[in-house]
Amino acid sequence: MKVDDPEAQRFINRTMVARIATLSRNVRPSINPLYFVFTNGVIWLGTDDWTLAARNARADARVSVLFQMEKNRVDQRILRVRGRARISTDKAMLRSYNVRVVCKYVLTPAGIFNALAHIHQIPLKLTYNAQGAEKGVSCIIEMTPEQVEFL
Amino acid sequence: MKRVTRDIDPENAQDLLKRVPRACMAFAGEDGPQAIPIEFVWQAGCYLAGIPEIDGCLPNPGDEVVFLIDEGIYFFDLRAIYIRGQAKPVSAPAGVPAGCSWFEVAPTKAVAWDYGMLREVENEG
Repeated sequence: MKVDDPEAQRFINRTMVARIATLSRNVRPSINPLYFVFTNGVIWLGTDDWTLAARNARADARVSVLFQMEKNRVDQRILRVRGRARISTDKAMLRSYNVRVVCKYVLTPAGIFNALAHIHQIPLKLTYNAQGAEKGVSCIIEMTPEQVEFL
Repeated sequence: MKRVTRDIDPENAQDLLKRVPRACMAFAGEDGPQAIPIEFVWQAGCYLAGIPEIDGCLPNPGDEVVFLIDEGIYFFDLRAIYIRGQAKPVSAPAGVPAGCSWFEVAPTKAVAWDYGMLREVENEG
């Protein structure tokens, strides 16, 4: 199956958290949950350039990503997408990613409820994000799918 | 000097090992990283991972694997436990459905996080 398969596209568009498997320079595996957006057949996963996921994807472009329908308990399928990644710190791309992520994860009834339920922790979140920014820069793991399969 | 952390003691994420909201594993395959959903059983302190047999790719005995058990969608609900270790083939634990190859993972590292527990801690070093 290719990523332009309508069912695969619908599935990816309905999932929220991607789990990306990567390999380090020393061929050590890792798997991390990341927010993502799917745009023009390419998957953008957001992280920081100092994280293991980003460092690994820079060292070895081969990645494998799992998608699971979190909001639909009836559909138990898992979609696995294999492909190649590149790391981008392009500011225009990051702006585009951030707008899409805010729309997908924050400016929704559930996202707003989640923030309001933890409103006392928002200053800590801002500090946490600022700490991350001191370690490096935000980046996008841009994944070009090559193989797509339902498991 | 203080810093904000999401990290929690893995012992405080044991509910994830019992409930297993979502579980997956990664290891190095010939074609790159392998990501697979797993059945997970935490039994008498042992970490047991069942890999569906529909997936032909399995870790070799002694291979390093990592598994992730996580839950949540929205920021403050995101929680996970992440365990790295070595895989050893074992027979299926009692009471699990057929159709998986089972591995026990001897952990070498475990970390857990909970964004709902963001807090200030003393900066080490």
